[in-house]
Amino acid sequence: MVDYNRLVAMVRAAAAQVRANQELLSKLDSHGGDGDHGTTMARAMNCMEKAVEDDQSSSLQELLRSIGWAVMGVDGGATGPLFGTFFMSMADAAAGKDALDANGLAAAFAAGLAGVQKRTRAQVGDKTMLDALVPAVDAAQAAADAGGSVKDMLRSASEAARDGAERTKSLQARFGRAKNIGEKSIGQPDAGASSVSLIFQGFLEGVTTHA
Amino acid sequence: MPMKKFVNDPDNLVNELLAGFVLANSGKVALAGNNLVVRAHPKPANKVAVVTLGGSGHEPALSGYVGEGMLDISVPGEIFAAPGPPRVFEALKLANRKAGVLLVVLNHEGDVMTANIAMEMAEKEGLNVKQVLTHEDISVPSRQDPKNRRGLVGCLPVIKVAGAAAEQGKPLDECIAIAERLERNMATLAVAVTGATHPSTGGIIAEVPETDMIVGMGQHGEAGGGQQSLKSADETAKIMIDALCNDLGAKSGDDLLVMINGVGSTTLMEQYVVLGGVKKALDAKGIKLARAIAGEFLTVQEMGGFQMFAAKMDDELLALWDAPCNTPALVVK
Repeated sequence: MVDYNRLVAMVRAAAAQVRANQELLSKLDSHGGDGDHGTTMARAMNCMEKAVEDDQSSSLQELLRSIGWAVMGVDGGATGPLFGTFFMSMADAAAGKDALDANGLAAAFAAGLAGVQKRTRAQVGDKTMLDALVPAVDAAQAAADAGGSVKDMLRSASEAARDGAERTKSLQARFGRAKNIGEKSIGQPDAGASSVSLIFQGFLEGVTTHA
Repeated sequence: MPMKKFVNDPDNLVNELLAGFVLANSGKVALAGNNLVVRAHPKPANKVAVVTLGGSGHEPALSGYVGEGMLDISVPGEIFAAPGPPRVFEALKLANRKAGVLLVVLNHEGDVMTANIAMEMAEKEGLNVKQVLTHEDISVPSRQDPKNRRGLVGCLPVIKVAGAAAEQGKPLDECIAIAERLERNMATLAVAVTGATHPSTGGIIAEVPETDMIVGMGQHGEAGGGQQSLKSADETAKIMIDALCNDLGAKSGDDLLVMINGVGSTTLMEQYVVLGGVKKALDAKGIKLARAIAGEFLTVQEMGGFQMFAAKMDDELLALWDAPCNTPALVVK
């Protein structure tokens, strides 16, 4: 089960993962974007950790909502609204719950994804964060349906996110600034998809170390 | 190659630029809340407020147009990146009044997402806010799919006429109708000759081959096709104004407002020469250059090139364009 403290551990580990790869993310974004995705994500993670520290609620819903709002406040173009919406929509799914089992967490991820999809017209294959997020959420649901533990479920999700991000290498960007460079966007993974992959890896590490 | 820019801490760049901006314009603007740029002398609350948001690094835009006759509040984001919804919501709350608030949004992914989320929150709180989207970049050719057209320098004339209407005490619906009428009748095309450096990451934005120019450059120099050998001012002016007139369906007898917006390192001298070329091309078509303006209004660091804006104007829009304003970056007496 993922209770308040375990969620905090997951979020902190996700922040650490992203920060450790900040330069790589900016480098990926410099092919077609303006090279600031790593900086923006690192700032978003700082906002997220601050929200965790400041949260006095001990409620999953409140914590996720605070994280979402904090990430939205990062002032980094579409990154804040998209990642912030993910957490805020997860918060709605966690309403009234003290802890989430694998199924509950998978449902919260699905709600997060649905929120993101309301904000962008991007689809899988457009070389965006959705290329990692959609397979991660699908894999999480499949693992939960198969009766897996939270850890099994996060392992499947993080592997699917990593594979999804890896697959964006061969894709041509059809969204965001990178779409303007057309075919030249092929050959490098998408920075946003890579961030999603790092976050899910962090989630897995968080539940593993905070058992 | 190390970046040759006078900056201190990249993470503190926006704070530092805003501090200096306010020092340089202390009689006109001030900071409020979380880095919101507001008027030093607020507009009476019985008049519509005009608010905008957008990334930094484009100075004097957008905060340079806060002041009498134009904006009430600008929400500056990070370098080339929109602010997040919380600060825009904060600005809308601060601006909220019975007369209403008009939020002008440039069509860029992050700006639109932020604005939509802030608008949803404003609705929940019962704030009286309406949104106008600017999307006039004709490097995306189809008027049928305006969602793909980026918002470039055209946001400024929209803010100018809407701001003048608000200052005159016109109601919110009328301010919106005016803004939208100009928006529907305007077009912008950009040309780049050299790239720019991202001032906090040092990354190179847009590279243009030595002997070429790129027509259809976006606001941050996103390539958009249209690469060709560098032409003279007159030839370039003609290519661009022809494309703009074609998009606008401008014909003999129409009144045009033309704006040449230098984006960084193209000199004012060049901008004037280009404007002369625009006049010649319009004369040949019998289209009247009713108003013209040249200068640096919305820049992209040291990028070389300019944005050419044109709009079909009616008498009311011309009067609002001519109405007084007193902002750090534009003064009309």
